[in-house]
Amino acid sequence: MNRAVLQVLLAGVAAVALGAAPPAGEEHFFEVRARKFEYEPHVLRVNRGDRVRIRLLSEDVAHGLYVDGYDLNVVANPGEDGSLTFTADRTGRFIFRCSVTCGEFHPYMIGHLKVEPNTPFFTYAALLLVLGAGILAITAVRRRREA
Amino acid sequence: MSESSPTQEQAAAPEPAKEKERLFGLLDLDARFDLTRFRLIRALLKSRWMPLALILFNTFMFMIILVATLLGGFSAGNYNFGIMLVWILWWVLLMFVLVPVFARAWCLMCPFPIFSDWFQRRRLINIGEEPKKPWGLNRRWPKWLKNMWLMNVLFLVTTFFSGFLTVRPFATFVLLGSVILAAFIVGLVYEKRSFCLYLCPVSGFQGLYSQFAAAEIRRKDDAICKAHKKKTCFIGNEQGHGCPWLLMPFKFEKNTYCGMCLECFKTCPHDNMAFNLRPFGADLLVDTKLESKGLDEAWKAFIMLGIAVVFYLGFQGPWGFMKDMIRGTTLPGFLSYIAFHTVFCLAVIPGVFLAFCWLSKLASGNREVPLKKVFTGFAYTLIPLGLGVWVAFSFGIILPNGSYLLHIASDPFSWGWNLFGTANFPWTPVLTGYLPHLQGIAMLLFYLFSVDYGTKLARRIYPEPAQAKRGFVPILAALTAVTFLFLWLYMG
Amino acid sequence: MKQRETIALGLMALATVGTLAAIFGYERYRRATQFDVVLIARAPEYGNWDPRTITVPRGQPVRLHIRNIDTVSHGFGLPAFDVAVREIEAGTATTTTFTPDRAGEFLFLCTVWCSERHLEMTGKLVVQ
Ligand code: SF4
Ligand code: SF4
Ligand SMILES: [Cu+2]
Ligand SMILES: [Cu+2]
Repeated sequence: MNRAVLQVLLAGVAAVALGAAPPAGEEHFFEVRARKFEYEPHVLRVNRGDRVRIRLLSEDVAHGLYVDGYDLNVVANPGEDGSLTFTADRTGRFIFRCSVTCGEFHPYMIGHLKVEPNTPFFTYAALLLVLGAGILAITAVRRRREA
Repeated sequence: MSESSPTQEQAAAPEPAKEKERLFGLLDLDARFDLTRFRLIRALLKSRWMPLALILFNTFMFMIILVATLLGGFSAGNYNFGIMLVWILWWVLLMFVLVPVFARAWCLMCPFPIFSDWFQRRRLINIGEEPKKPWGLNRRWPKWLKNMWLMNVLFLVTTFFSGFLTVRPFATFVLLGSVILAAFIVGLVYEKRSFCLYLCPVSGFQGLYSQFAAAEIRRKDDAICKAHKKKTCFIGNEQGHGCPWLLMPFKFEKNTYCGMCLECFKTCPHDNMAFNLRPFGADLLVDTKLESKGLDEAWKAFIMLGIAVVFYLGFQGPWGFMKDMIRGTTLPGFLSYIAFHTVFCLAVIPGVFLAFCWLSKLASGNREVPLKKVFTGFAYTLIPLGLGVWVAFSFGIILPNGSYLLHIASDPFSWGWNLFGTANFPWTPVLTGYLPHLQGIAMLLFYLFSVDYGTKLARRIYPEPAQAKRGFVPILAALTAVTFLFLWLYMG
Repeated sequence: MKQRETIALGLMALATVGTLAAIFGYERYRRATQFDVVLIARAPEYGNWDPRTITVPRGQPVRLHIRNIDTVSHGFGLPAFDVAVREIEAGTATTTTFTPDRAGEFLFLCTVWCSERHLEMTGKLVVQ
């Protein structure tokens, strides 16, 4: 009993440590429900190299789903689902957006596809911190020189 | 970052002495490139057709926009000429080039106040033969309102309705109609461009951010101005009107309230006005008695930052419940959005920033300098960063939606016209896969500007260089944190 | 100099009144010469097809101009005469031509799922 708990705990810790990410190359299936003006789920998380299958269901009017960066598009009507399959080979956070004018807020109907690791974000964030630290260092050195 | 050279001669002016400062330690901040050295540009700037010709062209454009937004009514904004031109093209142009590069270049060609100008001057282009009293009451704007506060409030209130303005043609019609009408009515009562100076909702951020711009209109030679006793640029002459924006062209140092109307090029008998290109951000350091740094501009900077966060969450984020709040599906939802938006922009952001300023004062070890001075001074570091945030945000507008422009150009009234043969051009997102990169680059670039000007501002706030350096550290932390926050929002 | 003011005034008139006149004049001319029927498409809860009944003579080509002034896409189908416009995006217009060769009453309908009441979005074509 205790052992089992421990095992689960360990597995949990390991999963958190690895970013709760299953190993790459898996297949992910998402059933995305579209309604005015949101997708549910609105964030799709996968890893680089994963096969992604999306089934798009519409709950009210015709909606679409266009994935930035992958240039893929699918459309669904109520009772008439759309499906999309692709390999997530580009990392980063990509917006997917509705591609059928579905109401006044249609241009703002958005979801996020996160292909991890999110290298672009980490790159820019690291760059920012390096720049900040560099500036701090320059300031400190200057101070000593002037003192 | 710039070298301070103590051997530099100090100016005799009563203003704090200027040391030679360089942008990123490279570009001399006093460097100017005067475009009037080209004969053609000089002639253009002195012609009475400039900027009137541009204003007339924009009058024509806005006529079409008004008709399209009125006829468009409650139909879809993404296929409406007015919505697309105003919120996709105009807004993005403002944020990409007009303001950051050319300061108030939009005000130069803005058609909104032309009817009030025309009425007051009684002529569209000419100047009266003998000095005539202008029409209208020509009241002075109340002194206590000669600042940005009213525009801050008006702009914030306008953004409450952005969930309608950017999607419902009729809402945009009402907005544009009221701005044009208000410009005229205010012109009947108050002198010259009082409306532009203190009321126009788009004036505030243009004024604030044009301090960063790489262009300016300024006098060339102080000595010539001093010798010219009759200040025709201020009172006007037979060549042009006295500065409609009530500036003293022979004296002012800061872009904020110069509407680039080009009148002073005409009224100066000595050709002493220049249209300069200059290093980005030069005005951020200006703090004279006449044009002092103030809390009104500080709050404008906070508001612009806050709006960017709220707009991102509402429009470019994936959360449907926020969209429902912004588009007012329920009244309580809409009201809580307004409440959150207002408190966030007016109180939360300034509050957090104040905390960092307090830390800055603590770190500097200087107890004499008033906290208000620290706070107001450093608030100007948010100007480049704020522009960066808006540039990044604008990429998110133009790349996915730009292709609609081709459709609406050919079929402006949804009547099935096909003027340029592009009416059936399908919706095509352009380069949206690179959106995070473009946004990241924009943020980092403007972050560097903010930091660089931060060090320069620190030296103006704290008397001792050592204090300035210590005092800048918390501000550096704040700027880095803000940039990180937006990187996370845009791509994390 | 007087002349310059006149030119400016003329340009101002052109930019304002002239623009209006050009826009509405051109559209009037277009409607008078290019279409026989103008049909407005909106979801049932916002007004439905307008008009809901179209009357045309038999044997003559009908130039039907459909304007979608809604916020969602609609389609147009007239099965009896094999007319189908797959998608008319919100804020756009299409023209379709057909020749009704039989007299009677025929159903036309929307072919895009545009609202919960999409199935009510129908109209009647009367051929005399
Ligand atoms: S302040 Fe406003 S109304 Fe005045 S010129 Fe600028 S944009 Fe136009
Ligand atoms: S200083 Fe005054 S007159 Fe000169 S361009 Fe600016 S607003 Fe116009
Ligand atoms: Cu949709
Ligand atoms: Cu329909």
